[in-house]
Amino acid sequence: MANISIRNVHKSYGAHEVLKPFSLEIADGEFIVLVGPSGCGKSTMLKILAGLEPATGGDIHLGEREVTDLAPGDRDIAMVFQNYALYPHLTVRENIGFGLKMRGTPKAEIERRVLEAARILEVEKYLDRRPKDLSGGQRQRVALGRAIVRQPQAFLMDEPLSNLDAKLRVHMRAEIGALHKRLGVTTVYVTHDQIEAMTMADRVVIMRDGEIQQIADPDTLFQRPDNLFVAGFIGSPGMNFLSADVERSAGGAAITLFGNRIAVDEARLAGASTVIAGIRPEHFHLGEGPATFTVRPSLVESLGSEKYVYFDGGAHMVSAGESEDDTSKGLIARLAHSGPMAEGQDLVLSFDPAELHLFDAVSEKALR
Amino acid sequence: MNRTPLQSLALYGTVVLLAALILFPVYWLLVTAVSTSADLSQLPPSFWPDEAQWGTFAKVWEERPIPLWLLNSMLAAIGSVTLSMVVSVLAGYALSRFTIRGGHSLGLFILTAKMLPATLLVIPLFSIFRNFGMIGSLWTLVLAHSTLIIPFTTWMLKGYFDTIPRELEQAAMVDGCSPMGAMVRVVLPVATPGLAATSLYAFVLSWADYAYARTFLVNAPDSWTANLGITTMRGEYSTDWNEISAAAVFVAVPIIVIYLFLERYLVGGLTAGAEK
Repeated sequence: MANISIRNVHKSYGAHEVLKPFSLEIADGEFIVLVGPSGCGKSTMLKILAGLEPATGGDIHLGEREVTDLAPGDRDIAMVFQNYALYPHLTVRENIGFGLKMRGTPKAEIERRVLEAARILEVEKYLDRRPKDLSGGQRQRVALGRAIVRQPQAFLMDEPLSNLDAKLRVHMRAEIGALHKRLGVTTVYVTHDQIEAMTMADRVVIMRDGEIQQIADPDTLFQRPDNLFVAGFIGSPGMNFLSADVERSAGGAAITLFGNRIAVDEARLAGASTVIAGIRPEHFHLGEGPATFTVRPSLVESLGSEKYVYFDGGAHMVSAGESEDDTSKGLIARLAHSGPMAEGQDLVLSFDPAELHLFDAVSEKALR
Repeated sequence: MNRTPLQSLALYGTVVLLAALILFPVYWLLVTAVSTSADLSQLPPSFWPDEAQWGTFAKVWEERPIPLWLLNSMLAAIGSVTLSMVVSVLAGYALSRFTIRGGHSLGLFILTAKMLPATLLVIPLFSIFRNFGMIGSLWTLVLAHSTLIIPFTTWMLKGYFDTIPRELEQAAMVDGCSPMGAMVRVVLPVATPGLAATSLYAFVLSWADYAYARTFLVNAPDSWTANLGITTMRGEYSTDWNEISAAAVFVAVPIIVIYLFLERYLVGGLTAGAEK
């Protein structure tokens, strides 16, 4: 096990920069998740870390060693691939032991460690089968077995759960989490699924267009997003955004949302004349509150104990761009309510202005 | 899908017709081999002789240097396959995996060699081999056949390598293999069906050659391949077609045996399970 130090690593193809200078200190035993939409550079970063792609610049240290120019096999890392990448011509036993064999480990030691890894991952029964005779979940376990058997200094995982069905994904997510707690190996995990990121990570690195947007623990990301993109990316359903002009008077600065005049500290606004206000769906409440308004739901989705209520936010509605949710349906309120609720009937909602997030309309940075 | 009886009849009828069309020459070769000259000259022809002359095979085997011809054909084919496969595995893998400037054009350029008819290349090849003093040597066939085989097998293998996920090599490299080691230990075993099919194609192409053997080896009877040797069995005034056919059956046997041996490799599906 070791800490990983990534300093100013960047990658360009000609004039096209796919990964902007990336720096990150990963503590020994930490579980880091790189998350972002397709093409954000997260897999490129992982491949550079693995040595499968050369970086254009920067350096990487694994523990005390600089590994920037080392071959993948010399880095003492193990990688789990999205499509498992099991060797189809080898049995499960040979697949798991392949890395040890390549390192000249004695046969008896290979057998002992393969059996141990197989026991941890509960694949002992399948040791003499070929990958094609296994289910998706079993293949994924074998891929994990191939990684843990070598007892590497770090695990790199490239969207390892995205080929599994929803139920198995939740199960394997928990298993990977448990495995990490048990082995304590430094792990860098890439996913485009924010729920995986939030549930598994000690810290999450959110990326977009080859650039880090924010590095923080899951709670901080949710509660204090640094910019509009992070605010929209984290949370499901995504945050609602409304543009608002700042009104300044003798009484101080204020914005108007849903007909409610909401005072805003001038120091927080940093001179902005237009802001984007963000409010999470779960921060709307049924009935009157500090800021109350009436809406006519265009769509009500019932999830049993709660309801997703969609309503028109008017001309001020703003899309966060790459938010996973469909903003064309309007704004969304997530209400803890199990009773009947009809579309087209007026509904009184409220929110607490203290829970509003404000972003600069130009820079899209959070205003705090 | 459920077929109506009429559809089934049409389907099986077509299959039987096609099979008959393909197998008839082979059958007729056998009929000719076991017939006497008199049987062969009768009209209408008989579809099986009254008395099959199986002894023709033993006679031809004893009187003609068939084993030597077969050995020469085998050596030329094995040499061509070996040389072609070494070159085309490396070239096909490089074309599949590496992005190099002009790589695609280079790949297409290799293919243009295949577009020229073999008879067009025979003259420059003869000139080259003569300058090197190689005329009469089996090596001329190994090299000449390779020039025909390599362009095609390179593209066949490139296509096959394209279907093998790169992650397999990446996993092997993370597991400690060098790039070459990943290719040898992981990609080539996975590509076995492709390699078998390609080798078989190369073998058949070399085995079936007549034009190059006739041009480069005609004055060296010890180097004659089976196809060249058989043509020398024609007499100036009369030809024993039954003996020629019996010799042709001997030539066909190795190919049939090789097909039977490689059949299981020719069926794909070994990569199943590598991915999701």
